[in-house]
Order: sequence, then structure tokens, then C-alpha cells
Amino acid sequence: MSRCLLMLSCLWLCSSVVAADQNDWPAPVGRVSLETSAAASSEALLDVGLVIFDAGIPEDVSTHSKLGIFPDIRRIEAQYIPVLLRQSLIDSNAWGVVRVLPQSSELTEVLVTGQIIHSDGLRLVLHVRASDATGRLWLDEIYVDHSEAGDYPVSEEGEPYDDIYRQITNDLLARREPLVQKELREIRNVAFMRYAQSLAPEAFEGYLAGGSEKHGEERYSLNRLPAKDDPMLGRVERIRNQEYLFVDNLDEQYLQLQQEMAPTYHLWRQYDQEQALYREDYQRRASSRDSRGRRGSFTAMEQAYTQYKLSKIQQQDLRELAQGFNNEVAPTVMEADGRVFRLSGTLDSQYEDWRRILRDIFVLETDTPSGT
Amino acid sequence: MKWFGFICLVFMVSLNACSSAGKKVPRAAPEDVDFSGAWELDYSQSDNIQARFDTMMRELRRQAERRAQGGVKQSGVISSGGGAGLNGESILGLAQMAELITRSQLLDIKHDEHTVQVKREDNFALDCEFYPGKLHSVETPLGSEICGWDDHQLVFRILLPEGLSIQHRLTLGPQGERLNIATTVFSSQVSYPFTLNRVYNRYDPDSGGIRCKQTISRGRVCTTEAPQ
Repeated sequence: MSRCLLMLSCLWLCSSVVAADQNDWPAPVGRVSLETSAAASSEALLDVGLVIFDAGIPEDVSTHSKLGIFPDIRRIEAQYIPVLLRQSLIDSNAWGVVRVLPQSSELTEVLVTGQIIHSDGLRLVLHVRASDATGRLWLDEIYVDHSEAGDYPVSEEGEPYDDIYRQITNDLLARREPLVQKELREIRNVAFMRYAQSLAPEAFEGYLAGGSEKHGEERYSLNRLPAKDDPMLGRVERIRNQEYLFVDNLDEQYLQLQQEMAPTYHLWRQYDQEQALYREDYQRRASSRDSRGRRGSFTAMEQAYTQYKLSKIQQQDLRELAQGFNNEVAPTVMEADGRVFRLSGTLDSQYEDWRRILRDIFVLETDTPSGT
Repeated sequence: MKWFGFICLVFMVSLNACSSAGKKVPRAAPEDVDFSGAWELDYSQSDNIQARFDTMMRELRRQAERRAQGGVKQSGVISSGGGAGLNGESILGLAQMAELITRSQLLDIKHDEHTVQVKREDNFALDCEFYPGKLHSVETPLGSEICGWDDHQLVFRILLPEGLSIQHRLTLGPQGERLNIATTVFSSQVSYPFTLNRVYNRYDPDSGGIRCKQTISRGRVCTTEAPQ
């Protein structure tokens, strides 16, 4: 009996934890209009880097099926979602160059990272963080969006969760708006010096006061800038432009991958939404339905079995569809990877290799100790 | 409190189904058992439902007679306490359920280190995941499932409303070419469960030369091309 009580307690605790997590989510973003910046000064047009999201796949693989997580689809979504956010930021006309990056980098003035907390045809929940090069935290929020009946089937240019991207974009803009020109300039200068320091820490030592903790953030500030005619500055600028070119190439591949995947992904989410709605409705109807026969009779047992069987088949159809999704997009993913592989490997490792090469070039040119 | 007791009982029964007395639950998957493959029903080796039913009725009649000789007799119904009883109709109900549940003629089983999926023709798939220290269970408003290894046998237990529960016990034959699924149907209203054995043999589903895969936008896509 004690074993039974323990087990029931565990089950209750587990369900409470899941419920508590969901209770921590804020209200859905609702309908959101994109705020645009018609007359932003060039100083205000900060470059934004969107790092490929953390797919939010629990390490404990035994939990995946219970949480309804299809890991392959999640990994694809982790690349797909930043591309949609990128487009929203571009549409707001409030930013400089917006790039999708395979990993965090000192290259950008504003860096956005994120994690997928929940994603299916009904809901998208993202945890988004954003900070600028000085280490100032702009965002650390959970965003929730629900799809609506009219979102499916998804039109050619449509996106069921476009409100969530608009909300994140608006929030980023709201964090930037109060910044005065001096602060914006400092972000740019600190970004440049952090990049320079990552290439040659000793050569650029003393320009930045960095890494100090302020309000739980790792803050950087400028001590001074090199002279404008310092030849080292030109070299850093050139190397940085090389890296920009390279990242732009990766960014283009992420965009292409998203465009090729979109029709299949939209269908997947549509099926997922239809199945979830049907399942909820069916379970509600079935559990409240009166038994047709006497308890223990064949009729009553058959009814119980058939109800369970149908709900299971629905659930398992979804898994079949997930497999179908993988069958269909896998060649695209492989092709994208393959194209990069000719250069050096996966997008992530290629970027790493490229940065190492750039640092080596810088060291060779300047005869300074490398930062890595 | 009545429900609490019932749920407790259900879990105790389920746990017992997955373990022999005193052994740990859940057990690790045995390395030498691999259910993977396509299987087709072998009628000649499987139980005949009518014969099973007749055998069971004969046995129960004999038991009833023995009890009657001991002095306990009720007209047409043999009581076994707790409100549960049995008669021809209730046993027939269980037999019909067993027949309904085990109708699948073809099985497609995927089995790896951590999962088993038994796809059954015209029925839902039986899924089991086995990770150290974790018991695989699924709960929905319409029923719950629990599964695990009992030595070299894989056991699924499905608990449904109406006091109905179903157990599938999968056993691989010595050469791995034959699979026995013993399906037992329990009812809280009937004191004896009904078990039906179905035997399956391996077969090659690609022998027809057609291979299919599921896609999202084109549905099920089939080809006659050989795999590369």
C-alpha cells in the first residue's frame, strides 16, 4: 500500500510540475501590429544577430513522447523560427543588418538568443533573451501565441504565429527607443572593440573595461578608442567585413532552408492542430458518454475499448505524420548541410573554422598574440 | 476513496504484471530478444476461440460441481466473492473481447535499445519505452497503459473504464522466427480472465517489390525501386 501511495504521490507531483510550468507562462500576445520606425537615425540602426534557437529538447529522452516532442522537428524549428523573427525585424525598418547566426558572436551590436519551450499546431511558446554589446539586458521574456481557426491552411505568405514575432520585434524596439545617441554610439564602439579584442586581446588591452557584473549582467564599457589613423583599426575592420560576408552567406542558407521547408511545415502544423482539437473534443465527448450496456457486458467493454482505440490511433497518426515530415524535409536539410560541407562542415563548425582562420590571418598580419 | 482504492489496486496489479515476485520494476530490455520485423498470423498454431471457450466452460463447470459437492451452490451462477461472478454470458463477453482485440493478421514491429513499437493491422500500435529506472506509462481520460519486461517477455497492460483491462504478453520463439502473443482480458465483473494465444511467423513485406513511406504533402508514397 505504501508503494502505491508513493507512486500516486509521484504521479501527482509530476503532473503538478507540468501544470506549474504552464501556469508560469504569460498570457498570449494576442493580435499585434508591427511598429515600424520610419525615421530612425543611422546611429539607431544597430545590427542584430539572431542565434539559432535552443531547440528545448530535454536531455532525458524518456520524456520526449510524453511531452509530445518530436526531436527532429524541434531541431528544424530551432532554425526556422529565427528566420521568421529576422523578417519581422527587417519589416520594422528599425534595425541595421539583421543576420541569423549559427552561434553567439561578438560580431553584432544586439544579440538575440532564444529557446523553444513549446511548439505545436495550437501554441508556440518561446523564451527570448536579447542584450547589446555593452552587456545591457534588453529582453528576458517568455512569449506565448495561440493559433486561431483562420490561421490554417496557411496562405503562401502567412504564418500562424506572426503575432509572436511582431511582439518580440516591438519589445526590442521599445528597449532601443529610450537610448540616446551617446548610448547607441557606445554600443557600436564597444561591439567593435570587443570584436577587436577577440582577435588580439593583448593588442587591444585597456580599451575596454569588461566583464564586470552589474545588476547580474556582464557589462562592458569603453575606456578609450584607438586613434582614428591606427592601422590596426583598418585591419580589424577588414577582418570583420570578411566575417560579415561569410555570415551573410550562412544567413542566406538559413533563409533558403526556411523557404523550402515552409509548405511542408505549414501542413505539419495544420495536421497537428486538427488532431489536437479532434482529440480534445473526442476525449471530452467519450468520457462523458453514458455506457451503452450493462457494466461488464460485451457491449460496454467493446465501447470502452473502441473509444480508447480511436483516441490512440489519432495520437499515433500524428507520429506517422512527424515521420512523414522528416522523410520530406531531410533531403533539404542534407542539401543545405552538404553545400556548406564543401566548405568545411556543418554551419556551426564551418563558422567556427572560419573565425579561427580570420584570427590566424589577423595574427599573421599584425604579429600579435591570438585571442583564441 | 472508492476511486482511490481502485486506482491503487490497478497500479498494484499493473506492477505485478510487469514483474515476478520481488523483482525490480522496470527491468532492462534483454539483449538477446529482438521482436523487429514483419509478422503474419499463423492460424494453425493459434488458439481457436471456440475451443478455448469450450475448454474454459468445461473447467468452470467442473469447479462449480466440486464446490456444489462442498455445499455451496447458486442457480446458474458460481459466486467467487466481491460481487464478481461468472456465467456463460460473461465468459462469452470476455471471449468476444479477446477475439476483437486480437484480430490483427499482420504486425510490423520496430524494436531498438529503448523502444518497441508493435504496429497492428486495423488496431492501434502498442508502444513501450524502456529507460533505466523508468516505468513506461501513458494516461488519458479514456484509459491508461503500462508496460515493461518480465524476463524475456514484453508485457503490456491496458486499463480501461468498465472494469476492463487487457494484458498482452509477447514471447519470441527459440529461433526468433515465431512470436506468441498471449492476450488476457480481465473484467472486474468476471472472476476468471480469458486468455487467447495468437502465434505469428516472420514474413518479408518487401517480397511484393513495393516499398512505401509516409510524407506530409503527398501522403503515402510507394516505389518499386530497390533501396540504394
